[in-house]
Amino acid sequence: MWTTAVVSGISLGSFYILMALGFALIFGVTRNFNLAHGELVVFAGYVSYWLWKVFAWPFVLTFPVAILATLLICLGLQRLFARLCEPLELNSIVLSFGLAILIQNSMLFWFSGDYRLIRIPTLSRGLRLPGFYLSYGQLTLLFLSLTVIAILYILMYRTYLGKALRATIQDKEAAAQAGINVAVMGTLAFCLGAILIGLAGPLYGCIHYLYPSTGHQITLLAITITIFAGVGRLGGIILAGWILGLAESFAVILYGSSWREMVAAVLLLALLAFKPRGILGKGEQ
Amino acid sequence: MSFFASKNTKFRTQGLKFDSVGFVTGFLLLTLLPVLVQSNNYILQVFTHALLLANLALAWNILGVSGSISLGHAAFFGAGAYCSAVLSLEYGFSSWFTIPLAGLLAAGLGLIMDLICLRLRGAYFALATLAFVEIPRVITDNWDELTHGSLGLVGVPGLPSLSLGTWSVDFGSSITASYYFVFAYSLVLLGLVRFLFNSNLGLAFQAIREEEIAAEAVGIPANRYRLLSLLLSAYFTGVTGACYAHLVRYIEPGLVYGLHFSAIPMIFAICGGRFTILGPAMAALIIYPLNQFVFHPLLPAGHEFLYGVVLILTVLFLPAGFWGSLRKVS
Repeated sequence: MWTTAVVSGISLGSFYILMALGFALIFGVTRNFNLAHGELVVFAGYVSYWLWKVFAWPFVLTFPVAILATLLICLGLQRLFARLCEPLELNSIVLSFGLAILIQNSMLFWFSGDYRLIRIPTLSRGLRLPGFYLSYGQLTLLFLSLTVIAILYILMYRTYLGKALRATIQDKEAAAQAGINVAVMGTLAFCLGAILIGLAGPLYGCIHYLYPSTGHQITLLAITITIFAGVGRLGGIILAGWILGLAESFAVILYGSSWREMVAAVLLLALLAFKPRGILGKGEQ
Repeated sequence: MSFFASKNTKFRTQGLKFDSVGFVTGFLLLTLLPVLVQSNNYILQVFTHALLLANLALAWNILGVSGSISLGHAAFFGAGAYCSAVLSLEYGFSSWFTIPLAGLLAAGLGLIMDLICLRLRGAYFALATLAFVEIPRVITDNWDELTHGSLGLVGVPGLPSLSLGTWSVDFGSSITASYYFVFAYSLVLLGLVRFLFNSNLGLAFQAIREEEIAAEAVGIPANRYRLLSLLLSAYFTGVTGACYAHLVRYIEPGLVYGLHFSAIPMIFAICGGRFTILGPAMAALIIYPLNQFVFHPLLPAGHEFLYGVVLILTVLFLPAGFWGSLRKVS
């Protein structure tokens, strides 16, 4: 039982990393908290569900469309965020909270409040290994998440563009001084974030029921992981995602699934109370 | 403290001005409303709810005026609703007793929230409050013996009745009576908020909001005052939650701890104007009925998009809120 919990925790955690990366990237580069993040993930899931169910597209082909749709919305969002005045972080929270309500209600209108699931039969079959069970769905999540993380790692740490992005995350003014176009970096962060959201949404639709108000939970997960990691630390995000996934899967075994939703909230509150700059973050205010 | 104990009128006039024209118009219209609409039950119901939301916005703004933005007032609302509902339904206490008690429970939660968020400011405080709601919600959801979990509580006793000698009125008996009960509570709360915001305490709250370090320098213990504004805000949010439970007579965790009751007070307070006394209540009384009468029939699913739109427009174009901007022009 514990092996199963560890396996499902790690695979869930990897998926959480994928979901949180977009949020963390946008926050790191532009200092905008995007509370509509979860709603965008659910939206991408709905796009995929709609193409898969109504037009009977193969599931894999729905990804590009979901990514494209999210990209368009995110570019629109970026225009809105760009108009905000100081204090940027607080104002972006209020603005994106309004956006979250707007997107949630639009989805309620277009897709209704019914529970939807992208049912891929292959994903629920699996391998019976000695001691635990590994479904193809978990394997896919693990594989896809790790691939995306690897690609992002190469982009951030092995290319010139990544260097510019990291510089912007570390110090906006200094980056601008060094000739980096900070505004372009912001747009780029939103684009990359949108691609990550567009990837996560359809996958989310495979393992969870889609309904308009579920986005709130995703946003909370993304915030928790981002704060845990501290700003701009890819390694921290991976660690945070796995810890959160494991904590949730142990909480389910120990206390039952109804307490699962509290894990992220308690973790976030404990972090904010004791280590507001992240577990791996430096001590400076 | 001597600075704020002085009765220096120069500083007193710095308090938030109270718009008497807006207040008198609103007061007359709302007092006469049952007559004007000839006791049309639906319209009265909507305005009862609008007044309740106005109270939420006013209570939220007690914290808002000291500079903190909370995205988690549903924690206090839900706790208040459940406290009063459980005590009156399961243990048969009078709701005159349980409604104030619900406020105390909510204030207790506020104390816990303050202990967690003590060092947090601005955006991080907002994020913490967003997560904080999950704790009372999941506990309520899982405490089956007391709260019946996600099934909710059905048949909560109605609003209390009042008897003075031979004259008596049961506020739960008709929608008009409930309307006047909530209206009376709104007036009391508005009076309190007005008194508070113009008192030395209110000035201290605003000083903290404008510049915390400077406020500390002139002798305002910022942390203690911020705690006080949070406790007051939580108390009245809890009381409003209790009124809601007795008014609607059905509550469930997903409803009273939902995003709706966290979002609504913040949206109304920000749209109305965080730095005004009357603005939050005015916004509730205009936006909520507008949504119910115009957008709800048009779009039965997703009509709450209006709140999102209004909030976005306010943040981008009218940071002082519409009541606040109106005041600036005149």
